[in-house]
Amino acid sequence: MSRGIIIFAQNNGYIDYAQQACACAGYARKSLSLFDEICLITNTETLEASEGLINSYFDKVIVTDVFQPDNIRLFKDTTRETEYASFKNMGRSDVYALSPYDETLVIDSDYFIMNNVLDQVWDSDNDVMINCKYRDVSERHKENIEYLDNFSIPMYWATVFYFKKSELAENLFTIINHIKHNYKYYYYLYNCSGSLYRNDFAFSMALHILNGSVAFDVPSLPIEYLNNSFDLDDIYRINSHGDIIMYCADAERITEHILSKFTNTDLHIMNKKAVGRFIDDFLSNGEKVNASHSHLEKIDE
Amino acid sequence: MADNTTEVSQEQEAQQRLEKALNFSNTMKTFNLNKNNLKVKTQNLLSFSTAGGSFSVDQSLISFMNFVVSSGKTEITLLDKNEIPIHIEDTSKFLDEVSSLYFEVVNDYYHDYQKLRSSRKIEKVLEI
Repeated sequence: MSRGIIIFAQNNGYIDYAQQACACAGYARKSLSLFDEICLITNTETLEASEGLINSYFDKVIVTDVFQPDNIRLFKDTTRETEYASFKNMGRSDVYALSPYDETLVIDSDYFIMNNVLDQVWDSDNDVMINCKYRDVSERHKENIEYLDNFSIPMYWATVFYFKKSELAENLFTIINHIKHNYKYYYYLYNCSGSLYRNDFAFSMALHILNGSVAFDVPSLPIEYLNNSFDLDDIYRINSHGDIIMYCADAERITEHILSKFTNTDLHIMNKKAVGRFIDDFLSNGEKVNASHSHLEKIDE
Repeated sequence: MADNTTEVSQEQEAQQRLEKALNFSNTMKTFNLNKNNLKVKTQNLLSFSTAGGSFSVDQSLISFMNFVVSSGKTEITLLDKNEIPIHIEDTSKFLDEVSSLYFEVVNDYYHDYQKLRSSRKIEKVLEI
């Protein structure tokens, strides 16, 4: 059984997702040991911009230049700066077809693995594992479960998920793709909030449909909670791999921050500009791939 | 005159006490956030996977496994955290592994927590 970690990254002119994905891959390689390869799925433009760096952090690169429609999103860097930019997140639903591995762990390029708990996913009895429960590290969101809307179904976080090549996973991704292509319909059907195409929403709706459109339990990853640092938070300092001090936005006054230290715990850092400011620290604290191991695969458009 | 001076100094003292209390509330806010982050970290680390299943390791799992081993059962089927039945082939080994994990993780939590509560200065705790 081959086991791979997959990260998606496509630059959008505002965020250097390739660099961020390299940092994320470096952290995954340093923390986990039971996988075979770490693979990047990207487009030609992103690859050409950072090919050297990408080859030093990824064992495999899959290039796919399928057109992605504009999905405009508001990026926040605490309360200091906000900017609208294109968000190229629609390739995620193709991961079943693109993954060359029997078992795949997909992680967002802003998910920093700092312990080895996710090594426990391999060889699972479950065909798909994804988390519903999360925690806001600043405690502004008090609930552990988010919903697509107040009157809709629970949201599963497509930030980190595991699947193995199986009938269930194949059908799940078929439905996700169908939802992606008919998003408006499902958006209204499930009473979604916000206007952005979100993989979290598409995955949640697909899981609901696949489970017979009734209340359901999807196996969660070995981690109990997804540790989310939202984009109003900032990074104070990176001490070492597995030791980060964050500025957590105060629940009462979001312009003010509370310091909190995170050691030996995974962190989903959504303030991408903050990650960019500390990219050298992230890259130097991660682990690179062995030289001459990386290779490229081009998928036809 | 003397009464007025006493009143003013009492007021100032009360004001200072209030300021101190409010400043302390900032310390408490930071303390609580860091404590909760440690708690979540501990919950995430208290996960043990074997035979295709994932288990949340807690005192009840350890007590139950201790009962199983004491009863002489060498293999059992157990519900994991996703309520999926998982066959455990070696109950003693499983008990050893989950107990070790529990002691190690909770011990780390204890040390981190002691460090956090023993210092009023968050800069010291966070080594800033």
